[in-house]
Amino acid sequence: MYVDRGRELSIIFFLVLLGIVLAVFAPGFYNARNASDILVNISYITIAAMGMTAVILTAQIDISVGAILAACSTVAGLSAKAGVPIPLVFLYAIGTGAAIGLINGLLVAYARIPSIIVTLGMLTVIRGVIILVTGGSWIYDLPANFRTVGTGSTLGLPNPVWLMLATLLVGAWVFSQTRWGRSLYAVGSNPAAARLAGIAVERTYVSVFMLSGALVGLATMAFATRFTTVQSNTGQGFEFVVITAVVVGGTNIFGGSGTALGSFLGALLVGVTGTALTFLRVSAYWEQSLQGLFILLAVALDVARKRGALNFSFRWPSSRRPT
Amino acid sequence: MSDRPSKRTLALPWSELVLVVGLIIAAIYMNGLSPAFLSFSNFFEITRISVETGLAALGMTLVIITGGIDLSVGSVLGLSGIVMGILHHMGLEVWLAAAIAVGTGALCGFINGQLITRAGIPPLIVTLATLAIFRGLALGISQARSFGSYPPEFLALGAGYLGSVPTQLLVFGVLALLVGLLLAKTTLGRFIYAIGNNAMAARFSGVPVNRVLVLVYTLSGALAGVAGVIFTARVSSARSDAGIGTELDAITAVVLGGASISGGSGSIVGTLLGLLLVGVVRNGLTLAFIPAEQQAIIIGSILLVAVLLNQVIRLRSRRN
Amino acid sequence: MDAETSLLKLENIEKRFGGTRALRGVSFDLNPGEVHALLGENGAGKSTLIKILSGAYRPDSGRILLEGNEAGFGSPRQAQAAGIATIYQETSLYPDLSVLENLFMGHQPMRAGRIDWAEMSHRAQGLFERLGMELPLRARLGDLGKARAQLVEIAKALLQQARILILDEPTAALTTRDTERLMEVVRGLRTQGVAMIYITHRLEEVFTIADRVSVLRDGEMVGSAKAGEFDSNWLISKMVGRVAGQLFPRNPRPTGKPLLEVRHLSQPGLLEDINLTIHEGEIVGLAGLVGSGRTEVARAIFGLDSYASGEVLLEGQPLPRSPQGAIQQGVALLPEDRGRQGLILPFSLGKNMTLPLLRLGGWLGGNLEDKVFAEFSQKLDIRPPLAALLASSLSGGNQQKVVIAKWLATRPKVLILDEPTQGVDVGAKAEIHRLMDELVGQGLGILMISSELVEVLGMADRILVMHRGRIAGELPRGATQEDVMRAATGSIAAGVQA
Repeated sequence: MYVDRGRELSIIFFLVLLGIVLAVFAPGFYNARNASDILVNISYITIAAMGMTAVILTAQIDISVGAILAACSTVAGLSAKAGVPIPLVFLYAIGTGAAIGLINGLLVAYARIPSIIVTLGMLTVIRGVIILVTGGSWIYDLPANFRTVGTGSTLGLPNPVWLMLATLLVGAWVFSQTRWGRSLYAVGSNPAAARLAGIAVERTYVSVFMLSGALVGLATMAFATRFTTVQSNTGQGFEFVVITAVVVGGTNIFGGSGTALGSFLGALLVGVTGTALTFLRVSAYWEQSLQGLFILLAVALDVARKRGALNFSFRWPSSRRPT
Repeated sequence: MSDRPSKRTLALPWSELVLVVGLIIAAIYMNGLSPAFLSFSNFFEITRISVETGLAALGMTLVIITGGIDLSVGSVLGLSGIVMGILHHMGLEVWLAAAIAVGTGALCGFINGQLITRAGIPPLIVTLATLAIFRGLALGISQARSFGSYPPEFLALGAGYLGSVPTQLLVFGVLALLVGLLLAKTTLGRFIYAIGNNAMAARFSGVPVNRVLVLVYTLSGALAGVAGVIFTARVSSARSDAGIGTELDAITAVVLGGASISGGSGSIVGTLLGLLLVGVVRNGLTLAFIPAEQQAIIIGSILLVAVLLNQVIRLRSRRN
Repeated sequence: MDAETSLLKLENIEKRFGGTRALRGVSFDLNPGEVHALLGENGAGKSTLIKILSGAYRPDSGRILLEGNEAGFGSPRQAQAAGIATIYQETSLYPDLSVLENLFMGHQPMRAGRIDWAEMSHRAQGLFERLGMELPLRARLGDLGKARAQLVEIAKALLQQARILILDEPTAALTTRDTERLMEVVRGLRTQGVAMIYITHRLEEVFTIADRVSVLRDGEMVGSAKAGEFDSNWLISKMVGRVAGQLFPRNPRPTGKPLLEVRHLSQPGLLEDINLTIHEGEIVGLAGLVGSGRTEVARAIFGLDSYASGEVLLEGQPLPRSPQGAIQQGVALLPEDRGRQGLILPFSLGKNMTLPLLRLGGWLGGNLEDKVFAEFSQKLDIRPPLAALLASSLSGGNQQKVVIAKWLATRPKVLILDEPTQGVDVGAKAEIHRLMDELVGQGLGILMISSELVEVLGMADRILVMHRGRIAGELPRGATQEDVMRAATGSIAAGVQA
């Protein structure tokens, strides 16, 4: 297996750099409470980013994840209030996400509508349905046992962090060690060749969108459970943060390369810079611009690399001694 | 391949026909829900709130025909409005501030265009990133404050009438006509279609592809800048959160108007019909006391169904 | 060869595309452990035949027998399952993945629920040892270069139990050294009993490697012979099949003043010190193997690609380095890929033809399209003569005429033609050749790139032969195919050094 660790190392390098800056200018940044806050804050991003990684690996995109997060949170909130047992609540949330993802996937794979349009339309539809169901009002008074999932700790680590680590481990394993995982890279890298190799390309597309939806459903366990209410506009801009994490983490927007660990590091970078800004007394209003710059930088690197290596373009082999 | 003329050569743009029929059906149905619907004053109220989306959609039409996309228009709208608000707040003459705001929009678009053509980053990603960057700039320089107190002659741009026509509708009408002419009657328009259909062949034919693309994105930014000014005049305040989601409404209108998201086809007439359909549905539902937020579901569904229909027909004609 | 011993047998294969008969009753057979070379000019039907064998096309009639049993391949996958693998020039690999993964994608061995990487390495090493190949298993495939990517394709096919390999111009872009290495691999495969159909334009390879050779011409199998029973004269006469003069109507004329001069044009890794001059009334042929840099020269002159050093002059004045500038000064380039570079297929003929005439910042003139179309559709006999027709609805020959018309409408002084008759039927081909002669008669200069040696020999007044990014030789009219081949393969320096 060929793995490029370049991006992961650059992120770590950047984080160390930022760490030094913080140590000098804002030593207050370093405390256990703050570290745990950052990890909790990026947990639901990372969980959804695992699904988004799969989607982008196949050279697709899912911009409906923010709306799906709202839908799953609404389903979870309403069913928790109705007294549904907690495990079942999350099963409903995951099921909701998977079902929406299934529709996305079917439209992309079989109706051959570009994924950006499908998920754009889906985003509008989901937001509308949520308002239809809730009448636009927030869901208040979520039961305590629902909220323990997000606010409680196990063995000293907050529950959302456990959930994130578990998803990350499974994601890393699936992407690198299973046939399905490797087929994502094949489909994103060269769909025609993948089809010839017996990979069911359409079904792969459906499966990544379903996974993305289901993982957003799972992310509600680390998200909706932390607040006392579910707001009607939950998850606005979530798709942007998730895509930022994945792309900054080294997953090529043209498909075919990327890792689960990279996406986690991307999310970590987003989370740490966000908090660091506050500690460096920079107004949080600039954060969005910074994230946008991160994306541009990351993708510009991808493009530069693609141009430099120019896959399969003709080169004089004399300049490249065979080994 | 055959030597006979293909059917498509002679066919009328079916997507526009379908749209007109849909529009008539929608209008009749809405009128049934609320008899106030088919009055002129009502029609103008529909258009007043649609002008900002409409301006963004004009630029978006050009961008989508080239095979690109501009997700940053909503943020450009917000940033231009803030630039204008701050400049006016600092004492600059209001119309000069407005002109600089439009220039800011153009500059934003120019940056998009340069990133796309020079750095070779796909438009989707460039404008997704600049969506965040421009919005962040609007938030950062304004620190999320809003800027008000404009002279009445400026506010008339957003709330006044010329005769019985809302002012901004006239502005929009003139700009739509200009962009429509540009697309249909100038070499730039022909180049835009050529690039969307086959950028490589266009380049081989001597079309200055990069310059055309930069122009198109700059124009899209400038139009979003105009929308930012009009928004400020309409709500009589410049706000850093202005225009959030405008890109989605604009894309919806363009795609409803029959443009292919993969580029090469689309027209200003189609986009206007698409805008009108969204406006009519939204307004009719409002008059029928259906809560505003619920209308999103209907519009989203219309988009999906329209694209689906488009795609089914396209796939079928390819098979034949 | 009878059906009992044949591994693969084709009988009376017919294939039509619209009005063209691409294959007319072609029969062909292949024995185990045999290298059967398939020759033919471009457009003779080789690629159609390959596509039928690899399951991409279905024949209209005729039978395919695999070990004596009738087999019809409905899809590339079925052909692959039957043990037939096609190694295309355009590799069907994953540039972002490792060599090892490329070898096993979709067929990875599993152990305890996960991919068994050790087993994969083990099997790959075993195969490499058997064939005497050496490939870095963990390297990113996209970093390998074309020659080794091709070896990966072959190894991949063998790991999937391919018994028949179709090698489609495998050496087209390889250096002499890589070619030798590939020959070694092919020999190794032969001793392992793998049967191969070997398609090539390089005659010397046919003599080194083929056990048998068959020649296709205009969709018909015109000859077949065993190793030792044929020579290059026989091959060429079978491939061409007619006297050159009939097909290539050239009226020799005195040449005029220099039009286009290229001086010391270099771009590291692509072009090295290119010098050439095209005079009024002259057709200069640019020959060489695919990948030798011919197209790159054309693209650099036309301003599509940048170059590091050197200059391009038109009538003594430097030519602007952009297609727009080149067109305005009177240089036109007919590109090699008609569908992707030459035409905007969803545009009408009129719009296609007038595109290079438009300048940014103007209005569309009312009847420009009609005027241009009326003039050139008649001159070039474009059928049907309807300006509003979409380019996609025309046949290949008529499409090419539209591209030529498009460039003639710019009133060029120098016309660069990159594979002007590729994928064009014989009739249109002759018309294009006649037109070329007529144009130089009017004082134009033409630079013609062609992979068809006979075409270059028949049409050009002078031939420049490229090899590895350099002009390796200049040959006068009347040179032989062998002269060109020698210069193109770089084996012997031929003719006058340019």
